[in-house]
Amino acid sequence: MTFVRDDLRPLQRRLAGLLAGALALLALLGVRLWVLQVTQGDRWQRAAENNRLRRVPLEAPRGTVTDVHGNVVLGTRPAFQLLLFPEELTAPEETMDFLVRIDVANIKELELRFQRARRTSHLPSVVADDLSWRQVAAIAAHKTDYPALEVHPATRRFSPEGPLIAHLAGQLSEANPEQIAANPRLRPGQLVGRSGLEATYDEVLGGSPGNIILVVDALGRHISQVDQEPPTPGRPMQITLDMALQREAWAALEGESGAVVGLDPHTGAIRVLVSTPAFDPAIFAGRVTPARWQELLQDPLRPLHNRALQALYPPGSTIKPLYVAGAVMDGLRTPRDAVHCSGAVTLHGHTYRCWLAGGHGWVAMEAAVEVSCDTYFYYLARDAGLERLARWSQLFGFGRATGIELAGEARGLVPSDDWSRRVRGHPWYAGETISVGIGQGPILTTPIQLAVAYAALVNGGRLVRPHLTSDRAVPGEALGIPEQALAEARKGMELVVLGGRGTARRLAGGGIPFAGKTGTSQVVRKRDGVRWQDLPREQRHHALFVGYAPLDDPKLVVAVVVEHGGEGSRAAAPVAARVLRRAFGDGVTMAAAPTGDQNAVQGQAAHEQAGEGGPS
Amino acid sequence: MRRLDIWLLLAVVVIGVCSYLAQGSTAQALASPGFANRQMVWLLVGAGMMVLFSLADYRILTRLAPLLYAVSLLVLAAMPVLAPMRSGSRAWLPIGAYTIQPSEFVRVVTILAVAALVREYTSHRLDFRASVRLTALVLAPAGLIALQPDLGVALTYVPILLTAFWLGGLPWRVWGALALTGVLVVGGAWTWYLKPFQKERVLTVVDAERDPFGAGYQQRQSRIAVGSGGLTGKGLHSGTQSQLRFLPAQHTDFIFAVWAEETGFVGALLLLVAYLLLISRIFLIAIAARDRTGAVLAGAVGAVLAIQTLVNVGMVLGVCPITGITLPLMSYGGSSMLATGIALGLVLSVWRLRYANV
Repeated sequence: MTFVRDDLRPLQRRLAGLLAGALALLALLGVRLWVLQVTQGDRWQRAAENNRLRRVPLEAPRGTVTDVHGNVVLGTRPAFQLLLFPEELTAPEETMDFLVRIDVANIKELELRFQRARRTSHLPSVVADDLSWRQVAAIAAHKTDYPALEVHPATRRFSPEGPLIAHLAGQLSEANPEQIAANPRLRPGQLVGRSGLEATYDEVLGGSPGNIILVVDALGRHISQVDQEPPTPGRPMQITLDMALQREAWAALEGESGAVVGLDPHTGAIRVLVSTPAFDPAIFAGRVTPARWQELLQDPLRPLHNRALQALYPPGSTIKPLYVAGAVMDGLRTPRDAVHCSGAVTLHGHTYRCWLAGGHGWVAMEAAVEVSCDTYFYYLARDAGLERLARWSQLFGFGRATGIELAGEARGLVPSDDWSRRVRGHPWYAGETISVGIGQGPILTTPIQLAVAYAALVNGGRLVRPHLTSDRAVPGEALGIPEQALAEARKGMELVVLGGRGTARRLAGGGIPFAGKTGTSQVVRKRDGVRWQDLPREQRHHALFVGYAPLDDPKLVVAVVVEHGGEGSRAAAPVAARVLRRAFGDGVTMAAAPTGDQNAVQGQAAHEQAGEGGPS
Repeated sequence: MRRLDIWLLLAVVVIGVCSYLAQGSTAQALASPGFANRQMVWLLVGAGMMVLFSLADYRILTRLAPLLYAVSLLVLAAMPVLAPMRSGSRAWLPIGAYTIQPSEFVRVVTILAVAALVREYTSHRLDFRASVRLTALVLAPAGLIALQPDLGVALTYVPILLTAFWLGGLPWRVWGALALTGVLVVGGAWTWYLKPFQKERVLTVVDAERDPFGAGYQQRQSRIAVGSGGLTGKGLHSGTQSQLRFLPAQHTDFIFAVWAEETGFVGALLLLVAYLLLISRIFLIAIAARDRTGAVLAGAVGAVLAIQTLVNVGMVLGVCPITGITLPLMSYGGSSMLATGIALGLVLSVWRLRYANV
């Protein structure tokens, strides 16, 4: 390729033009520099000295929650927050030492908080939620030493009721980045509901935060206020809970682990929702430390677990009234069909024992519920088959969430051959159906499901949706069960308490009559010759009772589970009795233990073997 | 001193010293002592590149341009696969312990490619076909970079195209059409493409108090830093704005503010004059070039450096919106430093060979 020397003159002229343009613009920047630094220098100098615009977040007080009678369930109280302005932090080590000295937090937590604060640069970070007066005074006295700290009045979630509403109210925690991205109402460090009512109704209760923009000097003193946007407080809400009943249930369960669910069978409005053991909700009203959180998570009694919704138990004999209704509905049994119970029956080549070793003799439908005769239900299970038992259970809401507005509800388990092959890897054994006939084996339910199922027995056969806020009430799905079938189940349940042979007859006296069904669900395989009282506590049976009152027009259904409580009639039924009698104006008067008590204890052992009857 | 341009070297040395000192200050403020030392290493490596490329023959490199350009496009096209997401864009390629930013080097290649293309047109007026080819040549890599997304670097490709048009000689009516298109594109981008935070950045140039904690925060802090520096500055390592970390991105986008705060008008003006000297020398070398290729090559390098300097310093002084364009030779970053060294080396090569008759 040959190079011909081009005529470069036009090109050179254009280059000179570019150069001139660049020089002119650079000169203008020089002028601008002069104006900023020399002409306006003093002004910017002052700005640099007072250059501490602080955006102080104003947290919205969370809305008050009241019970059905207007009693405060969840409120707020004033508290002092400690804010850290990371961009003004000049001596982090000294500041942390100071905070450790006045006992605000330990050094590890502070390091974590300070690190996080540095990442959010110009936004303040909450270091502590609830300072004592002594701490407030100490920080105020050292204000000039630690200008990055500011004590700020705020409010804090507070419950006058303490742990007995802990699960229901739920926990608060700092909004995580995903939540902040998804919801413009949330800011970094803001507390949001993490579980329970606080989570479900965070939009209502949370309000939206505001802020003040302040100019402060190098020592952190306020010079002026630039802007203010007041917070919008959370709205109050009323829930259907009845605190008087809640307290009664809590007191009745004291020292036990278990759950009580009470609801209005016609609407599904929750009156009682207790789970024990619980935790102090004050822990979660602010920023919980990781150590504290781990401690609660690792507690073997699982206090964070809301047993009323999340714990799964075999229903035991509490399932019997549901089967009675199903059997009458399907025409499989008439109320008069009787079965002879000799204390044991052999089906599918296995011997299944009734809990009463001597047998109940001839029992018809109502008596079978009254005395909780296992033999009657073994035969019923054999005749009905697994599919029909499963259909009856599902009809009453087993195996699916009840739809209460609290998150984390367990669905329970209604077994099927398909389930057995899929999950356990082997087909369903016919003998297991017999166990399911008395609510044992792989059938699992939650206390709230039991309450909803029994509500259907007493409200004319509608499956209500349990709820804590009345605007979630729905008419409830009519199950199409004839009234005659429901009445038969109710008659049996009345006899449980009021009949001469009822399993809970010792609770008959002393107050408004109620009805219900006891249940005892086994936890571990029974070893021969060991009495349940001698078993370690964690191997004892769960005690269940689901009851209702008044008899002619039930207004309250109460489901009780006492974990490892032993027998339903001894551990769970008295709890339900206290709640029901409290609801309908009576004091608690317990009848003396009936003479049949010894029988019940012996029967327990037999019952356990019965539950084990299925091949395994 | 016939072969090396002493004034250009002087300007580079002055800027390099300022860069090292300013990075020492940000290293202290950000508590990362590595910054200043690494910047020193990059400066030296960049200077080495400059010397190395000044000894090369830019005409041979322009002949290699098509190949280099093809490789560059391939790398940029592969970035979505090769590069991990880092601070919201896929602009950095991990190579061993380092990460490189290919878009910085591709800019030099693009300038070479433009210079190579202009050589084919000896007329003093660009025809339509040449204009279209130039446009495609520059916008292809720029588009790929904008997709990373790295808008700041993509914008630095625009002056290459405008310089090529200007030097190639575009008729005035075409300039008019371009201006109209520009207005439409900017209007369209404002309406449909720019994210709210990017609009805020533009609006805060007009009204700094508009959003004192969002977009306006950086502008305001930067202006306070520069203004409070006064005539003689607060002293190295003593700038309250940088040391108390009011200044954002102080080792990259806002390094000029650090320098202006700590050395005052005296230091800032010295640095500005050094850039003025550098840019002037590059354009004078372009004017002295022996052929069109050299003239366009040096001219485009000069234009890119000038625009980067003007936009970055303008941003620091609060007269341009915040775009993420860094200050060449001052801002922290190895890729930028190396690419700038190579570009200056090419310019020196044009100077060295200005009389050569081969």
